[in-house]
Amino acid sequence: MTTSKTSGRETTGPVLQPADLREAHEALAGSVGQVHVRGGGTADGWADALRPAPVTVDTTRLTGILAYNPADMTVAVRAGTPLADLQRELAGNRQRVAFDAARVRRGATVGGLIATADSGPLALAYGSLRDLVIGATLVLADGTIARTGGHVIKNVAGYDLAKVTHGSYGALGLLAEVVLRLHPVPAASVTVRLPCSLAAAAERAAELASTSLEPVAVEWYGSGVTEGHLLVRLEGTAEGTEARARAVAELLGPGAFTVRGDEADAAWREHADLVDQTGNGAEAAVLRIGCRPSRLPGVLARIDPPGTGVTAGLLTGIATVTVPAEPAGVAVAHTAVTAAGGTSVLRHHPATAELPAWGQAPSAVAVLRALKKELDPDTRLAPGRFGAWFTGNTGGEGAR
Amino acid sequence: MLDAAVRRALADAVGAENVISDPVRLRTYECDGLTGFRQVPALVVLPRDAEAVAAAVRACHEHAVPFVARGAGTGLSGGAVPVADGVVISLQRLRRIVEIDPVDRRAVVQPGVTNLDITRAAAPYGLYYAPDPSSQQVCTIGGNVAENSGGAHCLKYGFTTNHVLALKVVLPDGSMVTLGGDTGEQLGPDLRGVFLGSEGTLGIACEITLRLLRAPETVRTLLADFPSVRAAGEVVSGIVGAGIVPAAVEMMDALAIEAAEKAVHAGYTLDTPAALVVELDGPAAECAEQFEQVKAICERHGCTRLHIASDSAERARIWKGRKAAFAAVGWISPDYIVQDGVVPRTRLAEVLDRIGEMGREAGLRVANVFHAGDGNLHPLVLFDDDAGEAERAEELSRSIAELCVELGGSLSGEHGIGTDKACSMPRMFGEVDLEVMGRLRSAFDPRQLCNPGKLLPTPRLCGERPGPYRPHPLEEAGVIERL
Repeated sequence: MTTSKTSGRETTGPVLQPADLREAHEALAGSVGQVHVRGGGTADGWADALRPAPVTVDTTRLTGILAYNPADMTVAVRAGTPLADLQRELAGNRQRVAFDAARVRRGATVGGLIATADSGPLALAYGSLRDLVIGATLVLADGTIARTGGHVIKNVAGYDLAKVTHGSYGALGLLAEVVLRLHPVPAASVTVRLPCSLAAAAERAAELASTSLEPVAVEWYGSGVTEGHLLVRLEGTAEGTEARARAVAELLGPGAFTVRGDEADAAWREHADLVDQTGNGAEAAVLRIGCRPSRLPGVLARIDPPGTGVTAGLLTGIATVTVPAEPAGVAVAHTAVTAAGGTSVLRHHPATAELPAWGQAPSAVAVLRALKKELDPDTRLAPGRFGAWFTGNTGGEGAR
Repeated sequence: MLDAAVRRALADAVGAENVISDPVRLRTYECDGLTGFRQVPALVVLPRDAEAVAAAVRACHEHAVPFVARGAGTGLSGGAVPVADGVVISLQRLRRIVEIDPVDRRAVVQPGVTNLDITRAAAPYGLYYAPDPSSQQVCTIGGNVAENSGGAHCLKYGFTTNHVLALKVVLPDGSMVTLGGDTGEQLGPDLRGVFLGSEGTLGIACEITLRLLRAPETVRTLLADFPSVRAAGEVVSGIVGAGIVPAAVEMMDALAIEAAEKAVHAGYTLDTPAALVVELDGPAAECAEQFEQVKAICERHGCTRLHIASDSAERARIWKGRKAAFAAVGWISPDYIVQDGVVPRTRLAEVLDRIGEMGREAGLRVANVFHAGDGNLHPLVLFDDDAGEAERAEELSRSIAELCVELGGSLSGEHGIGTDKACSMPRMFGEVDLEVMGRLRSAFDPRQLCNPGKLLPTPRLCGERPGPYRPHPLEEAGVIERL
């Protein structure tokens, strides 16, 4: 195992770089004290800030495909594998992981994407990684190696431990290996684009949802909520996709036009840039929101983002909004989402700002606490990520 | 026996009129769809709302009495078998559809609602609930949540877990929490996901929020005969290899067809070695295009007869034959066991050959009906109890499930582990894997009162040792060693 001295973050001890499952086990079994698990480092500033820890387990060498049989449409990979690298391998067989979170392009790893419960526009049709992970091998804080699921897409044997790693930010264990379900790369992809306000886009999206046109992604993006673009992506066979794109353009009305290839990629890149604002503007904070799709425009209007970027999945109810990095404003945003029955969590925020990271804690936080105690009794992993969830003081929002 | 204090507490919790203690009536609850495991419970309660469920669970918790939640009792793994001196909490009276929301395309339902009734309630809005287990007319959504049920169409549309947004759950201590939320988003680890398919061991779902889907524009279904199971299997690979994701691909062998035809006369060809049902759905133009491709693939692999359903009535007839197959084997055998295992799709032909050999060795017939698209087998082991074949049949059935694991698959694709397969779990998972699963269970249920004895092997159920020692696959690969 490779060991280096610094990680560029607040660690005081070694950075362990396991290259396989055995080394991942050794890294945790053979170290003492609290641990940061780090993948591609593309979500360092997400959720609550990590407290300093003496050990970092860095998964950037924990890479590579372990088993890939294209005919079974499943792949087993080491969890530190950047998803973009994996997608390149799979593309040779016209297959893909049907998942497109914005930060994949910055080298996000399979394990990191699962741990942060990230997802992109394709979640409308394919769900998030929890819907695509069919098996996993975890290394618990004491080095215990536990396997869950398997290599087949249909499997109900045993508890699905992979599910509790989804959204765990590494606090319950280190994902060492992951088995994913794959989908075919569609023969054709066409995007219909309409410049419009968020409110107008939401109306069109609701109409679209009552048709059988089966879009795989329906996203609006803009700087504030008044001016922006609605993007509707269709995938399928060449002829059928074109025909449906025409029908969608007609439904969206005057001003809608279709884009393909590089032009479509550029449009979706603009969308992804607003989701993935990590490198952009040290003063801003990015909030990820989920609520009933019909309530989303109202919630975003109440947050009233100051023109620095909004993306809204109009049929998924998942939005990203950039707000000033000041505590009162972020708290107001959390409150607006909570009032609509939704969820909110801070993504990027400037390292210097003390901001409430989480919206209202889930009602089952006591179960999470019990689970943490069972799987990581010495609270070694990811200290601080969940604020005070695991220590018992979750009163109010974003306890910190 | 439950003492009087417990009986009083439960009567207080649900109302005395909602408690069954008459021994004759209690017998109704002694087993589920897997009738080989039987245990009469000490008491049955039928709460009328979620608060009463919580009160009943609290009473059990306070008095350390084990309890088992029960829906329609159609499960096939003994997951709802009562515990001796324990309580059955029936959810049959929580059968209200709370809300159908056509705008956000969701349904909020109580656990006792049947799977098909959800689709019926959504149909006026052009929506439906996707997972469709064969028992969908009678099985309840609460049971589907517990088992993470699939169905014929899950290759394209996924399982129960992919369609549940939120669950109001009574935890084993009687407290009520919500798992999941209004969207696929959740804050923190996905407890909703781990609850799905936990076989009633982590709590009782009392209200379930489901995604509804827009009904597809077109559905096309064909029935094709093949000279061998292998040829039919190659067609399945060919379809998937062409980048087509069919709504369903089902296979039946000669024996299953014979049984189904005797029972429902669905128009299948007798004596054909294998038949495939392939269904495509989606936008009309694309569906038509891909349907032509599927027909060509069938013909390329020596299809001997290809019948295309011309309307929804004919489609329903084809499905009737397929869905009737389990019960239909009663026409060709006095007794049978339904097995449920999964292999990687590319090993279908191999596993069927092996099952054939094992059947011959055991001197028993095995009919095969399965979801070929996802490698989920349902071998039906035929036997005659009166001829003393029961034990041999059970042995053969268990060996088939364990063979699936050996071939890189799973002990169960949709029926669950329950009582039936708990002792086979060490074939699929290592001792440490199971121990960690036990820790997860303890996080929800530290007192082990919620459906105890199911899912994980216990010394009581399986003997002192939880199963034969078997090296962990990672040990075999030289990746880890026994520490």
